[in-house]
Amino acid sequence: MTAIAITPPPAKPRIDPGLITGALPFVVLITLWALAPTLSDIPAYKLPSPMKVWTTFTDMLANGSLLPDVWASLKRLAVGYLLGNLIAIPLGLAIALNRAVAETLTPVLSFFQSIAGIAWVPLAIIWFGVGQGSVLFVIANTIFFASIYSTVIGVQSIPQVLYRAALSHGASRWDVVRTVVVPGALVQILVGLRTSMAYGWRALVAAEMIAGSDGIGYMTLEAVQWYQTEIVILGMILIGILWLLLDYTIFRPIEKVTVRRWGLMS
Amino acid sequence: MADTAFSPPPTRRLPLPGRAQRRGALGILVVLALWQISVWLIDLPAYFYPAPTDVFAAFVELMHKGILPAYLLDSAGRYGAGVALGLSMGVGFGLLIGLSRFWSRLLAPLINFFYAIVEVAWIPLLVIWIGYGFNTILIAITYVVFFPVLYNTLTGVRTVQPVLINAMRTLGANRRQVVTSVILPSALPNIITGFRVGAGFAFRGLIFAEMIAAGSGLGFLIFEGATTRQTDRVVVGMIMMGLLWLLLDRLLLRPVERATIERWGLIRAQGDGA
Repeated sequence: MTAIAITPPPAKPRIDPGLITGALPFVVLITLWALAPTLSDIPAYKLPSPMKVWTTFTDMLANGSLLPDVWASLKRLAVGYLLGNLIAIPLGLAIALNRAVAETLTPVLSFFQSIAGIAWVPLAIIWFGVGQGSVLFVIANTIFFASIYSTVIGVQSIPQVLYRAALSHGASRWDVVRTVVVPGALVQILVGLRTSMAYGWRALVAAEMIAGSDGIGYMTLEAVQWYQTEIVILGMILIGILWLLLDYTIFRPIEKVTVRRWGLMS
Repeated sequence: MADTAFSPPPTRRLPLPGRAQRRGALGILVVLALWQISVWLIDLPAYFYPAPTDVFAAFVELMHKGILPAYLLDSAGRYGAGVALGLSMGVGFGLLIGLSRFWSRLLAPLINFFYAIVEVAWIPLLVIWIGYGFNTILIAITYVVFFPVLYNTLTGVRTVQPVLINAMRTLGANRRQVVTSVILPSALPNIITGFRVGAGFAFRGLIFAEMIAAGSGLGFLIFEGATTRQTDRVVVGMIMMGLLWLLLDRLLLRPVERATIERWGLIRAQGDGA
């Protein structure tokens, strides 16, 4: 049951695309957006036209002010993700191997998991100042706790009977780890990898907004101060597209393999 | 692992403090003790690294002045309203899309795209459009809850056994009766799971929205404390946040989910991707 808490398995609904029908709402939306100034009296600073957003995009690409921010965000996410998971998964397995240790630490972990992320931003600013350090701390923290909690739960959900079967066939402690614990917890570990990415991505954007000095989140919120709404909208669209790219290139394939191999996620 | 081979069948646990709970409490005490000792050992200014005792004093002060209760009430109101709105919209659209091929084709790509734009990214634009305050936060929370509920409702609706629907129709039920007495009940476990996932993301969303767009609430307390270097207040806010979520999760969300699953069958969460 606990597993469901953090189970995000986004094998999203098999929605039948139907390409043309699906594109229709986008066309309608963009048309309405383009016509908004003539249809109503929304001032341009509140809703810049799609063309304006597009030219802002091409301008920023051309003068090289966009890509460094995107690159900074992605790099930070990658570092935070690797750092968080590389510590969390082995540590989580180690903790979960001993029931006394696992039971002692579970409430602490679930507490930290529930405050991990955005709530750490202000404290991170006090500790590391505004900039790279704070943002990285927040991302790694978020990812670490999401991942370690999932790993511990994964090991705890392995049926006792599998341990007994392995032990009664004369397995050594290491054999048990290798053949029971790791494969048994693998699905939850993958769930953790995925959930931690979802939380990490939000934390990245949020942390950059509050504590960053560059990156896509910083770019988006900074533009609010100057009423550069076109940059705000551009930032949002890029945040959406980047997530879709990450999702389709990294996570969908992993999930597919998992489902085929273990058939456990629906 | 030390169990005997023939352990009795698992009986339902009573909420009495068992071994796991005692160990868990010990874990929390150890963390608190380590925190206090580390404060004594490394001599840092209190604004940089407040001790548990400072934090407790700040908690008492915030309670005494009535700031914390007022903020908690504000946060709870925003959260409750947003979650309720997101839940009802998610279920509504989930039924619409799940029951109609046309609406599914039309709206699915749009919904997938907007789902990828996390609520955090909406907040700057909402601030420009609506300004600071309740409405911006309400929209952000509704937005976060909407998607997981929608996706899970969809899964629920699509995995209803056709036999049940056919049976109802043979007995002369109309479309509305099929929806209310077959489809909704069998999708309910999925809906509840989606609700729980959405509620979790919404809780973090609330804190962030309050940091940027509010003048009260738990998120504001955490953020304002850091700006004024009252770090003990920041930590009070963080701890309250963690405790509130655990209380909400253990006392409300999980029991509801468990009850629904026991009543209507087993399911899995869907669509918690972004």
